[in-house]
Amino acid sequence: MRAPAHRHVDSVFIALADPTRRRVVETLARGGTVTASGLASQLPMTRQAVAKHLSALRGADLVSMSRVGRETHYKLRPQPLDEAAHWIQMVSAEWDDRLEALRRSLAKRGSRAQ
Amino acid sequence: MKLRDAQSDTEVPWVERETLVEATPEEVWEALTDEDRLEEWMAPEVELDPVEGGEIAVRDGEDHRTGTIETFEESERFAFTWSRPGEGESFVEFTIEALPGGSRVTVVETPIGPSAIAFGAWTSRLARLHRSLSFTLVA
Repeated sequence: MRAPAHRHVDSVFIALADPTRRRVVETLARGGTVTASGLASQLPMTRQAVAKHLSALRGADLVSMSRVGRETHYKLRPQPLDEAAHWIQMVSAEWDDRLEALRRSLAKRGSRAQ
Repeated sequence: MKLRDAQSDTEVPWVERETLVEATPEEVWEALTDEDRLEEWMAPEVELDPVEGGEIAVRDGEDHRTGTIETFEESERFAFTWSRPGEGESFVEFTIEALPGGSRVTVVETPIGPSAIAFGAWTSRLARLHRSLSFTLVA
């Protein structure tokens, strides 16, 4: 479960290096399926700028696209983010356990010394 | 360690945890860098060549990781890289800080590797983003 975060998350982080793109992702997370124009109306940027960011996010597999009549709909794909978040949660839990064991080990020594 | 902002994003660790212990930095240092002491809390089998550039091996049943010691500053800072076979490397760093009546032990772990520049930046942001996305992620 750890490997995917290392192997596949690179492009996710590169895509999210841009603060504007993070806003696009957050807006998508709230909005479900939207069009580029719909997104632009919620963000301080032009439709063209939104389209450019959506293209970068699609490159990182963070956004999927579908045609509905004449409109293009975009939707967030949170799985790539989930891999990285999963790694963080898992490794955090491992260190919480180890640090607790360290604390106990030191406490045992301390009480023996007294 | 303080979380930095966008300027030095690459220095932001993915994972940062800490604990307060009733022990001096010297006692903590021994627990962090002595093989027998490490086997009391880190993993059942730990091998460590306690110098910068030395090797570290940590085995817990099937889970086996090896790496290299990067920093070995007595009673202050202990850092190494480690990885499982075929998986990406992480950088792990312990920092020991003296407090009245004890010490604070902080550990950070951050993936490194080909994408080191892009890595590291997002722990706090991702965590926040992840929370904001949790309704989607749970589904």
